[in-house]
Amino acid sequence: MSDCTSIDPLITPYVDDDIDAAGRRRVDEHVRRCPPCHSRVAAERAVRDLVHTKRAEISRDTASPALRARCRAPRAAKASGAAVSPWRARMKPLAIAAGVVLVAGGAFVFEATERSTRLLAAELTADHVKCFGMNALLGTNSDAAEIERAMASTFGWEMRVPESKDAGLELVGARPCFYAKGKAAHLMYRHHGQPLSVFMLPQFTRPGHPESNPEMVDVMGHEAAVWSQAGRTFVLIAQEPQQEMSRVISVVQSALH
Amino acid sequence: MVTPAFEADALASLDSLYRTALRLTHRPADAEDLVQETYLKAFRAAEQFTPGTNLRAWLFTILHNTARNRARDFAREHVDVDSDAVERAAGSVERAGVPSINADTPETILLRETLTPDLQAALDALPAVFREAVWLRDVEEFSYAEIADMLSIPVGTVMSRISRGRRLLFDRLHHLRPAHV
Repeated sequence: MSDCTSIDPLITPYVDDDIDAAGRRRVDEHVRRCPPCHSRVAAERAVRDLVHTKRAEISRDTASPALRARCRAPRAAKASGAAVSPWRARMKPLAIAAGVVLVAGGAFVFEATERSTRLLAAELTADHVKCFGMNALLGTNSDAAEIERAMASTFGWEMRVPESKDAGLELVGARPCFYAKGKAAHLMYRHHGQPLSVFMLPQFTRPGHPESNPEMVDVMGHEAAVWSQAGRTFVLIAQEPQQEMSRVISVVQSALH
Repeated sequence: MVTPAFEADALASLDSLYRTALRLTHRPADAEDLVQETYLKAFRAAEQFTPGTNLRAWLFTILHNTARNRARDFAREHVDVDSDAVERAAGSVERAGVPSINADTPETILLRETLTPDLQAALDALPAVFREAVWLRDVEEFSYAEIADMLSIPVGTVMSRISRGRRLLFDRLHHLRPAHV
């Protein structure tokens, strides 16, 4: 009689009826005499049958017509030799000038004030990671002057995009932020080559926190600094030592002042 | 050059790629981005596809590799996930508590009467490596060898993941039942 260890790898192909005759006989013989292996076969078979039975019901999600359109082969672009990412093309209508999308709204203010600093930092840290991942594909590379014009035209906010070669900051670009359904701005930098993000949440200051006094949060392996300034809240995220974080924060704060 | 026929054949798998992406990412927006990137790569690499082989499996391979690369980028910024450790842990749990059933027990009947939302939730709660294996086998109905190619793992590991995934599902659904059915 085969022991359980040697039968174990045969159980799934046995359940799936994807096993040769000799293997099937071995399992048949074993499970007749081994209640635990018999139970394993029964449990696995019950689940497989259940999933098969429910297959149509759990497979109802379908791709939207918009996604179908975006997934088509980019013939025109290929013909012209200028292969444009459909993803990038999709982003284009969202972009204002350099690609900054800022949509301030009451709903967002409500959402933001409901969140604790740690939760806010965690969500934006996830976006920081995701956006840099996406940027590897999109290759966003925005110009500071364009971003500043977008800020001014969208919000009447005269600001200077923080950029300082001396501080090791290199502007990568800007993206609409996943957070709060795109109602925040995300400026992406490289700081000495490492990803660094500055998020701007419009029309929101954190109650009970002195302006311009950053609250530091250690979240998901990153440092996040959260502060409010001139009626807006900023979140700076990077994987930097405290001393470097302080330097960058002061560069950003002075530029945004 | 992407021919209209190749494009049509590839797009025939759009819904199943999207559903699989949804199972991997849990978020429609992320699933759409993943699928779009998959097609972008597929059309760029169309000349590498061998006519007569399984186009659907080829697309799923690209989908998986794209998802894996994204997860790797994410994990690099966070914490490395030791999927072998996950599998070992899952194995030790299931071995400690495999419920005893046979084909005609109330448990099997109950499993067959499991509500779809409960099954969906149980699938979504599985560790990703098991969820993916079970989904590709039992919903998308790929062979062990096709899944092994897609995931770049040995066939034995594919079977092991399917097995553990199913048994974790059973365990979860089994515990949803009322105490005295």
